[in-house]
Amino acid sequence: MKRIKFHTAAMLGATLMSLSACDGIFDGIYDSYQIATADNCESITIDGSDYTKWTYINLETQTTIATRILNQEGDEEPWDKGGDMPGEWDIAIHRYEVKTNGGAVLETSYTSIDELLNADGIPTGEYTEDIETTDRITIDMSDMMNGNILYAKSPYNEVLSRWMDVDTSTMPPIYTMSNKIYILRLQDGTHAAIHLLNYMNEKKVKGHMTFEYLYPLEKAFQ
Amino acid sequence: MRKILTVLCVTAGYCLAALPASAQRIVMGKVVDADNEPLAGAAVFVKEQKTIGMTTDMEGNYRLRLPDDKEYTLQASYLGYVTQSCRLASRQTKKDFIMEEDAIGMETVVVTGTRTPKLLKDVPIATRVITADDIRRTDATHIGDLLQAELPGIEFSYSMDQQVSLNMQGFGGNAILFLVDGERLAGETLDNIDYTRLNLDNVERVEIVKGAASSLYGSNAVGGVVNIISKEASEPWTLNLNGRYGSHNDQRYGGTVTFKAGDFNNSINIQHTSTDPIEVGSIGKDGEENDFSKVYGNRTWNFKERLIYMPSDKLKLTGRLGYFFRERDKSASAKDRYRDFSGGLKGNYSFRKSNSLELSYSFDQYDKSDYDATQNLDMRDYTNVQHTVRALYSHSFNKNNTLTVGGDFMRDYLMSYQFTDNGSYEQYTADAFAQYDWSPVKNFNILTSVRYDYFSEAKAQNFSPKVNFMYKLGNCSLRASYAGGFRAPTLKEMYMDFNMANIFMIYGNPDLKPERSQNFSLSAEYMKSRYNLTLTGYFNIVDNRINTAWNQALNGMVYTNMKKMNISGLDATAAAKYPCGFGMRLSYAFTHEYVKYGQPYTSSTRPHALTTRFEYQKDWKNYGFTIALNGRLLSKVTTDEYISENSFESTESVTYPAYTIWKLNISQQACKGVNVIVNIDNLFNYRPDHYYNSTPTTTGTTFSVGLSLDVDKLF
Repeated sequence: MKRIKFHTAAMLGATLMSLSACDGIFDGIYDSYQIATADNCESITIDGSDYTKWTYINLETQTTIATRILNQEGDEEPWDKGGDMPGEWDIAIHRYEVKTNGGAVLETSYTSIDELLNADGIPTGEYTEDIETTDRITIDMSDMMNGNILYAKSPYNEVLSRWMDVDTSTMPPIYTMSNKIYILRLQDGTHAAIHLLNYMNEKKVKGHMTFEYLYPLEKAFQ
Repeated sequence: MRKILTVLCVTAGYCLAALPASAQRIVMGKVVDADNEPLAGAAVFVKEQKTIGMTTDMEGNYRLRLPDDKEYTLQASYLGYVTQSCRLASRQTKKDFIMEEDAIGMETVVVTGTRTPKLLKDVPIATRVITADDIRRTDATHIGDLLQAELPGIEFSYSMDQQVSLNMQGFGGNAILFLVDGERLAGETLDNIDYTRLNLDNVERVEIVKGAASSLYGSNAVGGVVNIISKEASEPWTLNLNGRYGSHNDQRYGGTVTFKAGDFNNSINIQHTSTDPIEVGSIGKDGEENDFSKVYGNRTWNFKERLIYMPSDKLKLTGRLGYFFRERDKSASAKDRYRDFSGGLKGNYSFRKSNSLELSYSFDQYDKSDYDATQNLDMRDYTNVQHTVRALYSHSFNKNNTLTVGGDFMRDYLMSYQFTDNGSYEQYTADAFAQYDWSPVKNFNILTSVRYDYFSEAKAQNFSPKVNFMYKLGNCSLRASYAGGFRAPTLKEMYMDFNMANIFMIYGNPDLKPERSQNFSLSAEYMKSRYNLTLTGYFNIVDNRINTAWNQALNGMVYTNMKKMNISGLDATAAAKYPCGFGMRLSYAFTHEYVKYGQPYTSSTRPHALTTRFEYQKDWKNYGFTIALNGRLLSKVTTDEYISENSFESTESVTYPAYTIWKLNISQQACKGVNVIVNIDNLFNYRPDHYYNSTPTTTGTTFSVGLSLDVDKLF
């Protein structure tokens, strides 16, 4: 009988608890938005949600500058009126796609910067350069449901763009990050390690890309 | 146990018989079943003077002393048999009763149509009952499986993102109100509640009332109400353990423990299910791309606890808690999670014989979250929290006049990824209703009710009327009804601000009017112990249906009230059950939706649908078996679809083909407590040429085998 009384009290308590929680209970079982970067890394977040936007990134100075894609030829103008076109840059991001400034990229099997740094040195292998494309950089999705998507001509790094897979065979699409470390060989022969951490902001808006990177990689391996 | 009860009943019977000592006339007789076997413990009463009555002895005999030689009505009743009444002529002193088994459940007590308990055969609103036996025979896991197997004209298909969408004879998921023991459910996805939440372990019966019922249940009861009634423990203790394994690694495990101790009665139920993904292929047999290429795998956990405390015959207190979890594998790393937390307290108090009062508080919280397996992050992006308090009072002036009045107050809180910046809104709703149940003359019943609802955020108010007539002629019942239904705009429909994958926006509309329906129905029913024939014709006028429509100016979809439309139809059911063990049920539904000329017809409601069940049951002392063949036949449907998703200027005609699916269940029972069930689903190996969202997700015949142990019955 004692047990039953306890049971009753517990049920009463649990039900009354919900009374006091007007907007719901057990908030604590969920995680909040968080991005953890490795200690020795820099991280950059860009808003790439607009389909007509390229964001150019200078890894050394950690600066970004954006442009607007004007047409299918891929012509661009500064994003902000009266703003500048990008000067020195290493990679540029449009939604989830990436191009490099004359660089080349290798996909590794490492899934963290620490794992990479435990290796013997900068990974070697076949680095892939950008290719010219006419069907990768989407600039107008508004008629997508009818199969009409407009693309802009652009260089495109197929390997680094693998950091994010968007499976559009179902609606809504399924987004999967590769979680792999990519090695970028810059035009000047130096290397950077790049790791995509998230593709959404805290409001869960997609196209907000956050990645961590280590540059120059040569220094880290010294 | 049964013997003790019988002895007690017989003793009580003798005591009752001894009461009217100054009797003038003695009436005797015997109560037997159809095989002439005596029924011990059957109750025999004088209808005009209920104090005169007794229960039959071991030989089925009764003996009553009547005060005079006048005419009286004698009534004999026995659990599981059809109650019988007969006129006793003046001076008649002998009357035997041959009781017929209630094979079709006409003596089942139902509550949904009137909010007060009534026998199925006496309820003025046609109510379809799916019993615990039916549930066991179909081996359904959740309410969706069950309804689809039992009712024609019900189709669960996919809408976007493989979210389940109901169509019940032209009414969608948000126009059918689902209740559990009379309580509403929080949370929805694309206008449908989470049907997998409603598992069928420890369910006593499911009651379905078609047609508008807003005068008793308020918003959403536009096209019908489905009420799931939980089982209450009646034995000192029971323990059921069950498991099922089938094709596609489909697994189901469940356990229910109940006990009764003193004034307490408790039941705990846990169920776990899981299934692997089903690959249907990206290209159909017709060479065209399927609407989906695989059905996502998923797993669920469901926990239900209910404690009842009855300190006296008059007072009953019920407390309940529930937890539900479902996880769906969208990809190896991305999973959709759905959780529900529920609880409630209810008090029922009966006083001075003719009054009953119910007070209740109910809490329900439905959450959705995205689980990222690579980062081990579980982030919530939707929560719907509902708090409801209710009062319900019923007073019987006499056996022909009953008044029921009640009211609810609800707080509805919604946080959603579909609102600006994952914001939240809340709405208060309040209502009051009254129902009068009147039998002016014998065999004629009038039920009228009216309800007023108010919604704070929608600033909507609504009066819902209803009137039902029932006339009984022998074994036939004729019913006619007019009922109003409505659905208030939801917080989602008013405030949505959702970017659909950067393709277009979907906007809410705070100026929406409530959806309204008017339902007219006529039905005739024949019920006699083994047979049940029902024919119902109905006509619905549905106005201001809320849907999304393309808005050129906003370059997006906007929630809008649609133009008036009509839904009419015909339902026919024939059921029979014979003492030899053979039983059958055929149900047919015809649905016709009508939209004005010039407007596109975009509904995919199939005009003809038929469900059938043939079964054969045989029981011996320690062994029994049932073979049941369930079939569903659905006709093809041709509908208009917009050629372009965002211009809405021209449509093309699309035909979804007819299909039929049959399921064979073979269940065997040994030692009363061991049940083995083998299911062969999609018996004739139907495989669609093309997987539309509305085609069944089958890839051919599947098998499953289940074991259910009633441990308490083994001892």
